[in-house]
Amino acid sequence: MGFGSRFCHVRGAKFLDAQRLTKTYRVGSETVYALRDVNFVALQGDFVVINGPSGSGKTTFLNLMSVIDRPTSGEVFIESQPTSTQSEGQLAYLRKTKIGLVFQSFNLIPVLSAAENVEYPLLLQRRPKPERQERVAALLAEVGLSDLARRRPNELSGGQRQRVAIARALVSGPMIVLADEPTANLDSKTGEAVMDLMRRLNEEHCVTFIVVTHDPAVSRYAGRRVRIHDGRLEEGEGNGVAASAS
Amino acid sequence: MELKLALRNVFRNRRRTVFSLTVIAVGTAVFLFVLAYVGESLLSQRLSSACETGAVQIADERLFANQTNGYDALIPADVQSRVVDLVSKQPGVLGTSLELDFAGLIGDANGSTLIIGRGLTPCDCVPNYECYAIEGKTLADASPREGILGKRLAAKLGVGTGDSINIATGTVSGNFTAATVTVVGELAYSLGTVEEQLGLFPVAFVQRLLKTDGVERILVGLDDLNKAPQLADSLRTAFAAEGIPLGVRTWQELSTGYASSQSFFAAFSGLAGISVFALVFFSVVEILTISFLERTREVATTRAFGASRWRVFRGFLLEGAMIGAIGAVIGVILASGLVTVFNAARITWTPPGSAVPQAIHLSLTLSTALMPLVTVVLATLASSVYPAWKNARLSVVKALQTA
Repeated sequence: MGFGSRFCHVRGAKFLDAQRLTKTYRVGSETVYALRDVNFVALQGDFVVINGPSGSGKTTFLNLMSVIDRPTSGEVFIESQPTSTQSEGQLAYLRKTKIGLVFQSFNLIPVLSAAENVEYPLLLQRRPKPERQERVAALLAEVGLSDLARRRPNELSGGQRQRVAIARALVSGPMIVLADEPTANLDSKTGEAVMDLMRRLNEEHCVTFIVVTHDPAVSRYAGRRVRIHDGRLEEGEGNGVAASAS
Repeated sequence: MELKLALRNVFRNRRRTVFSLTVIAVGTAVFLFVLAYVGESLLSQRLSSACETGAVQIADERLFANQTNGYDALIPADVQSRVVDLVSKQPGVLGTSLELDFAGLIGDANGSTLIIGRGLTPCDCVPNYECYAIEGKTLADASPREGILGKRLAAKLGVGTGDSINIATGTVSGNFTAATVTVVGELAYSLGTVEEQLGLFPVAFVQRLLKTDGVERILVGLDDLNKAPQLADSLRTAFAAEGIPLGVRTWQELSTGYASSQSFFAAFSGLAGISVFALVFFSVVEILTISFLERTREVATTRAFGASRWRVFRGFLLEGAMIGAIGAVIGVILASGLVTVFNAARITWTPPGSAVPQAIHLSLTLSTALMPLVTVVLATLASSVYPAWKNARLSVVKALQTA
C-alpha cells in the first residue's frame, strides 16, 4: 500500500499562491533584494522546476513557499489562507501536515536508520505505531529501499539517501513537496534516477512538486518551468499557469 | 522514538560522552561515599549515645536540670518498681536498667585516686555495654563485690584482673563508707579522661555502699531508637495519670553532642552536594553546548518538518537527563565497589579525645543513593537547559544555510 493517489481528485486546484513577495536582507547599511515583487501560483499536481544561477534567490523563494521564512512584504496563501498572520506554531502545523521538504544535502538524521528517518514526520503527527510502520514500509518500497530500511544514512549511497529523503518528505501525505537542489550532490545518473522517481510520484499521486535547481538537465522533467534571476521570476515553457515577473 | 533518539545522540560522540559520564559518575560516587560515611558516623554516634543514656531515661527533673544537692533526687524503691512495671507494658521496650553513680576514692596502701563509680543493673539490653568495650567479665557476670575498672584507671592504680581494691565515699546521708571489690574486668572508653576515672559496678553493690535502696536513673532500652519520642510521650502521660513525679528524656534530648554533629554533618553533606552539583554542571555544560550546537542542521530539519520549539527543547533536555541518569547509575555502581573495598580493608580510626579505635564500616542504601542520583541528574538537566533553549530558538533558515 502506498500513500494513495489522494490528491488526484483535486488536480488543478490552486494550492499555493504567492502574491507580490519581496524579501530583503540588510548587509551593513545596504538593503539586498533576494526576491522582488514575485507572484507565483502552484496548482495541485504541478511539477514545477525553478531554474536559476547561484545567488538568484531560488532558496529564498523555496524558504518562503515552505513557510520556514517570512517575506519582507507580500503574502503567501496556502489553500487560500494567508500565512503572514499565522503564529510560529500554526506555520509548524502547516509544514507538518501539508508540506514535504527535500534538501540538497539530504539532511537525514545520522543516528536514525533509513526507516526511522522516514518515520520521523509521522511521529510529529502523533500517528499510531502500526500506521507508522505500514506507511514507512510502503514508502520505502515505493522508492525501492525496502532492503535497506535498517541502514543508517552513512551506510547508504548519495542516491539512496536522497530517496530516503524523498520518502520522508512524502510519508506524512503532504499536498506539496519542495525540493532544494535535490540532485546537486549526486552524479548525473543517480540524479536522473531521483528525478525519475519524483516525476513518477507526482504523476501517480498528484502531489505537487516544486524543484529548485541550477542544473539545466533537471528542467526536462518539468511540467512547468520557471526561471529566477536577480530575485525575479520568469515563466518558461510548460503549462504556463500564473508565474509572472512583476 | 524520542527516547531512542536521545539515547543514540548521547553515544554519538563517544569521547565526549565518556568524559561527561566519567565526571558525573565520579561526582556521584564521591557524594555517595561522603553520605555513606556521614550516615555511618551518625548511626554510630546514635548507638553510642543511646548505649550510655538508654533510648529513654527516667529521673527526677532536678537531676536533668543539674539542681540536685547530694543524693536528694533519688527514685525510691517503691517508685522504681511502679515505673519498671509501667515501662515494661509499653510496645518495643527491651528492658530497663537502674543506675546509681557516686564519686569517691579508690586505692590501696600504696595510694589512691578519684573514681567515678557507676552502678548499673546488669542487663544485656539497656545499655548493652558495647560503649564500654569490656575485657574480662561483663557486668552481667559480676557478683555484687566485683567491679570493672577503666583501663587507664587500673593502670594508674597498678591493679589487674583478680586484684582487690578499696573504695571509699560518702553515704547518701553523708557518712563515711568504704568497701573492698575485686577487679574482674577492664573497660575501654571513647574518652581517655573518663577511662582514667570510671568504674562499673552492679547497682546492688553501689546501693549497699551508699546505704540506700534508691537509684538516680532508670534507663529504658528500645528495639528501635526512632520510637523514643513516642515512648517518652506515653510515659509522661502515664506518669501524670499515676502521680509519679518523674521526668522523661529521650536519648536525643540528653545527647546535645549528637544534635550538633547532625547539624555539622548536614552542612557537610550539603556542601558536598553543592560541590558535586557545580562540578557536574560546569563540566557538562560546555560539552553539551558543543554537542547540541553542532547539530543545528538536524534541529533546523526537524523544525522544517514541523517539530515545535518545545519538542526540540524537550528532546535536548531528555538527552541531558539521560546522560545524568546513566552517569549516576555508573557512579552508584562505582561507589558500591569502593565501599566494598573500603569495608574489606577494615580501616579503623581513633576519634579526637578517644582512647578506642573505631572500625569504619560504610553501608549504602537506596535512600542514601537517592540524593546523589537526584543531584547529578538535576545538575546535568540544568546544564542542558541553556544549550537546549538556544537550539530550540535558532532560526531555521540560518541553520539550514550554515550546514
